[in-house]
Amino acid sequence: MASLIACPHCGPRPKEEFTVRGDAGITRPEPDAGADAWHAYVYLRDNPRGRHREHWHHTSGCRRWLIVERDTVTHAIYSAVDAAATGETA
Amino acid sequence: MVDFVLLHRAALAGARSGAFGTSMPEKRITLEALPEGHVLQVLAGRATGDVTALVASLGDGKAQSVRPVGPGQWFVVGDAVLSTVDMAERKARLSGQGSMADQAHGRVRIAISGTDVEAVLAKGTAVDLNLCEFPAGRSAMTLIGHISALITRTGEHAFEILVLRGFAESLWDELIEMSLEFGVDARPPV
Ligand SMILES: [Zn+2]
Repeated sequence: MASLIACPHCGPRPKEEFTVRGDAGITRPEPDAGADAWHAYVYLRDNPRGRHREHWHHTSGCRRWLIVERDTVTHAIYSAVDAAATGETA
Repeated sequence: MVDFVLLHRAALAGARSGAFGTSMPEKRITLEALPEGHVLQVLAGRATGDVTALVASLGDGKAQSVRPVGPGQWFVVGDAVLSTVDMAERKARLSGQGSMADQAHGRVRIAISGTDVEAVLAKGTAVDLNLCEFPAGRSAMTLIGHISALITRTGEHAFEILVLRGFAESLWDELIEMSLEFGVDARPPV
């Protein structure tokens, strides 16, 4: 229970209570965007070093989708906010 | 017409019963299965504003009957079994601001108490259960080991745990193991 994420609703909780969805910066293409755009949306991901914004689901807590900004090298957590609060949907 | 008779069996009817662990009379933990009355899951509707007061009116008047689970989510619990008429009456109190369903068939309550009950639960969850941080009436949905559960403080040395029916007996066994150093009396339903 080393990595704690400060859920905006529940307070600090261990990462075991969460499920990671991945990059929060990807937007869904229009239905007619074409095969390349859809291929990129479904399969292609950057593998950033350092700060990264991701969707995390507090599966074993409030069951809300969060946007967690963390460092992929140090695992430091910079922020965790409700995805709905930022106007983004998960 | 009824083709077969439904058999109502308490979730913890076959659970381990009796005294376990060391005998430390002053620190003994008590584990008790609570009546399978009602467990109303309440969800606030979209863009309804603050419905906390409406949800509070769904309780049976006893302390800690209304338990927040997350934004716009509550469990309303009590010992009484609610009839269809009772349910309709409670639904009306929500005046269309949310939805409500009885989950008593799916979730059961376990009471755990004793002077060192915080130390017992700390073996399973990372939530800070210190009385200052987690006073009576506070609830937290969390994991106890690998089992999802809602922990509510009901007194200085007393908690209630709301758990899915299918996990209740596993959790019961784990709570007994976690309490062994203090000694524990386990009381499943009679
Ligand atoms: Zn949460």
